[in-house]
Amino acid sequence: MGLHSYFGGATIQTLKMAAVPASASYSRFVFSPISRNLVALDSFPRHSPSPPFPLLARALSMAAAVQTTPPSSEDIGTATGSVGKPQWKAAIDFKWIRDNREAVAENIRKRKSKASLELVLELYEKMLAVQKEVERLRGERNAVANMMKGKLEPSERQKFIEKVLNHSASGKNLKEALASFEEDLVKLSDELQQEAQSIPNMTHPDVPIGGEDSSAVRKKVGSPREFSFSVKDHLQLGKELDLFDFDAAAEVSGSKFYYLKNEAVLLEMALVNWTLSQVMQKGFTPLITPEIVRSSIVEKCGFQPRGDNTQVYSIEGSDQCLIGTAEIPVGGVHMDSILAETVLPLKYAAFSHCFRTEAGAAGLATRGLYRVHQFSKVEMFVLCRPDESDTYHEELITIEEDLFSSLGLHYKTLDMASEDLGAPAYRKFDVEAWMPGLGRYGEISSASNCTDYQSRRLGIRYRPAELATKFVHTLNATACAVPRMMICLLENNQQEDGSVIIPEPLRPFMGGMEVLLAKHHTG
Amino acid sequence: MGLHSYFGGATIQTLKMAAVPASASYSRFVFSPISRNLVALDSFPRHSPSPPFPLLARALSMAAAVQTTPPSSEMVGSVGKPQWKAAIDFKWIRDNREAVAENIRKRKSKASLELVLELYEKMLAVQKEVERLRGERNAVANMMKGKLEPSERQKFIEKGKNLKEALASFEEDLVKLSDELQQEAQSIPNMTHPDVPIGGEDSSAVRKKVGSPREFSFSVKDHLQLGKELDLFDFDAAAEVSGSKFYYLKNEAVLLEMALVNWTLSQVMQKGFTPLITPEIVRSSIVEKCGFQPRGDNTQVYSIEGSDQCLIGTAEIPVGGVHMDSILAETVLPLKYAAFSHCFRTEAGAAGLATRGLYRVHQFSKVEMFVLCRPDESDTYHEELITIEEDLFSSLGLHYKTLDMASEDLGAPAYRKFDVEAWMPGLGRYGEISSASNCTDYQSRRLGIRYRPAELAASTNPKKGGKGNLAPTKFVHTLNATACAVPRMMICLLENNQQEDGSVIIPEPLRPFMGGMEVLLAKHHTG
Repeated sequence: MGLHSYFGGATIQTLKMAAVPASASYSRFVFSPISRNLVALDSFPRHSPSPPFPLLARALSMAAAVQTTPPSSEDIGTATGSVGKPQWKAAIDFKWIRDNREAVAENIRKRKSKASLELVLELYEKMLAVQKEVERLRGERNAVANMMKGKLEPSERQKFIEKVLNHSASGKNLKEALASFEEDLVKLSDELQQEAQSIPNMTHPDVPIGGEDSSAVRKKVGSPREFSFSVKDHLQLGKELDLFDFDAAAEVSGSKFYYLKNEAVLLEMALVNWTLSQVMQKGFTPLITPEIVRSSIVEKCGFQPRGDNTQVYSIEGSDQCLIGTAEIPVGGVHMDSILAETVLPLKYAAFSHCFRTEAGAAGLATRGLYRVHQFSKVEMFVLCRPDESDTYHEELITIEEDLFSSLGLHYKTLDMASEDLGAPAYRKFDVEAWMPGLGRYGEISSASNCTDYQSRRLGIRYRPAELATKFVHTLNATACAVPRMMICLLENNQQEDGSVIIPEPLRPFMGGMEVLLAKHHTG
Repeated sequence: MGLHSYFGGATIQTLKMAAVPASASYSRFVFSPISRNLVALDSFPRHSPSPPFPLLARALSMAAAVQTTPPSSEMVGSVGKPQWKAAIDFKWIRDNREAVAENIRKRKSKASLELVLELYEKMLAVQKEVERLRGERNAVANMMKGKLEPSERQKFIEKGKNLKEALASFEEDLVKLSDELQQEAQSIPNMTHPDVPIGGEDSSAVRKKVGSPREFSFSVKDHLQLGKELDLFDFDAAAEVSGSKFYYLKNEAVLLEMALVNWTLSQVMQKGFTPLITPEIVRSSIVEKCGFQPRGDNTQVYSIEGSDQCLIGTAEIPVGGVHMDSILAETVLPLKYAAFSHCFRTEAGAAGLATRGLYRVHQFSKVEMFVLCRPDESDTYHEELITIEEDLFSSLGLHYKTLDMASEDLGAPAYRKFDVEAWMPGLGRYGEISSASNCTDYQSRRLGIRYRPAELAASTNPKKGGKGNLAPTKFVHTLNATACAVPRMMICLLENNQQEDGSVIIPEPLRPFMGGMEVLLAKHHTG
């Protein structure tokens, strides 16, 4: 699984690890189930346990979410503050998993996931049995209570009291027996969720099966430019044009940080402005998002904010993290809400800075701007009806391709192979562009259909006309990851004299500037 | 001292606390000394002690800094050992004790000059003793080089051993003393410009006043109400996703932010400022060296878990760090930067303050100007910076006043500070939208940023040979000033430019940066 590809939108493989916490049985929804946990399950306990259902009505919501709680779990939920108690629960459809066990098992194999379906099903059956027993005992308790409401002979009454007190062969009274089963039920459903969360999303039937090499080329645009002079990489060009300062940043911040200088600042602003203007024309609502979010939101989007190898920077002394992509705060905008069907699809284009620890990236190709701790990105995000997510996935990749074509890049689009998909993705298209200075193709964006993987964790539903609520599907796609775009533009558009031609579409956003000239300081 | 005013450029009072760590005696530089520590001194130990002089030659540097280390201090790693040392001029403090004492009084600083001077005298005495003992030891060593009677030699060996022990003990004292001395001296604030009004907040003097509050013929809305009708913000979703005082910008608010940043950058670039986009995660030591306090209960600074890094509260910090530990050629001065960054602040202690809407938030975008210049030019550039600010705000049609902030309202690094307060009709008051500070050599003595005067000084200072004709280095002066703090600018624009129908007129200068948009209309979604 691709350490090579964890950049851009939803594609960051190492970030795309399933959220860990867990617990609750939701059996009323009929969409595909979810998640894979690449990190040891013992990577929680969480910092501060809180109620399992943080359901607050929200301004953006059409209505407060109607929560379908599992039988009796709300009786106990908050009472048990045991170790590993999850802060939130995903609406995993266990019944669907059981009814489609073959397909789920096959999917786990296809994706080389470590999820244990057997364990999940075993826990589910156990939980159902205990649930049944709990319901039976509750019925009995209620019957006894009803009986005692009437007038009774003292001896008669004594018999009922006996029954409550000396319930079964176990000698436990009815109340105690019920409490004990209810406790078991909570533990089982916690365990079940925890295991089930490691099940990855289902896979689109067209996704090529196999490892990285099996990814299929969907489209190829242009061809590598032929240079009549020896090409420079973006670092060399940036040095001559005075565009970056990696050395000062290494002292001030650490390695893989950088300052953008002079025209690089204008180029970033132009890329962001142009991209936003393009996607707004396609009906996307622009956003600028918070870059500090609660860890639970990161988890619900399918990323792992804790653990030794996390890509996520955490804030000291709080349960907050820095975002690695705007997908996270945009995913959270409609959290725990039920949307009217008429507002779908919701299309957002979010500009944010992104922060990544790049743990485990040592030894990888990390030259210059290719793999950095902080960068600017415009990310597209769509919430739509389940039957439309494939269509919007096509729309997203087409928008990406159109953007990159407009900038004159040579690139190819890949339909990523099953083993290369992060747990949330049902299907993922990556775009890899030619970087002549680096002498290879590099990932510049990706577009993922996460179907209901994220919405089941984030609690985002819609209400079809006169029907029960359903989970929306979510999709995300990079519109512009600035540093990699800069690599492409600098390296592909370099001239023999070291100057760099600015692509036409960006010029209006740079005050008409047409070329970056060496030794040309501040405009 | 103003909790009310900790927004914008260098002005954040609560952020403007002196760095804590300390130690070293620099007596060769003749600029004003520095610092004030508003937080308990025991707020260190630091996380990971590292060598006290992290001096690396850097690509941007003209040369590696020539470090004047105190005798033998690098030998000890005691508790509370600072990670870095400021080049505080103790001799200057001693020679100007009256002025320094008066300055501490003026600024209501808690620094103890008496303690600093006492420690300094003690340290000098110990230093003298150390030098004497070293001399003696060397003399003994020299004696033993020659041929000696065995009994004679034994005597010298004995003497050398005693000297060595005595020396080690004094050297240890010296390190401790110089650490203590620096720690105390760091709490001494920067000197104060003679024109700064003396006193508390109310003593601040109005330098300039532009325009007057707009008269409305209808009942005004605040920016929150306007933003709701225009669908510009989402505070509720952000409260769930991130916490209170976070927000999403939506629709035209996104375009407005981009336009403000673009327009501001284009304006200041025309004035010769070099644009930068900076790292927003920096080492804690850089934060301290700029005069902010990254640790402690009431810190404004977000720290990264499991590292010595923080989020920046202002681009002043990473820009201050660009030339850290370097000696610049005089000819490159002044260096003028305009840095765009996101800024992150915990706003600890801000509970109960006016925090409605965008006024006080945890994250915002800002363009910050930063100047490094020769000491004799910093007053001039201070004027230039405030003039640029005023011109920017005038271009946008704001009604504002500029204040020369009173002595007790200055953070430790500031020699003088000009704040701009603009009229916010929805909030019904003036609100700080920017400030411009001259920090003279407060930051450069901590960051180690010097320059080498071109020539002449060589002739006036010919003593101590070996350096040829090179003039001795001097510390640069640093200044910082807000060019555009986006959220407060949005408050001004929305509240001042609202129309009766709830629409908002976009100021002319910003229109070209918003695709020609002239007005924000209610219910008008995505362009």
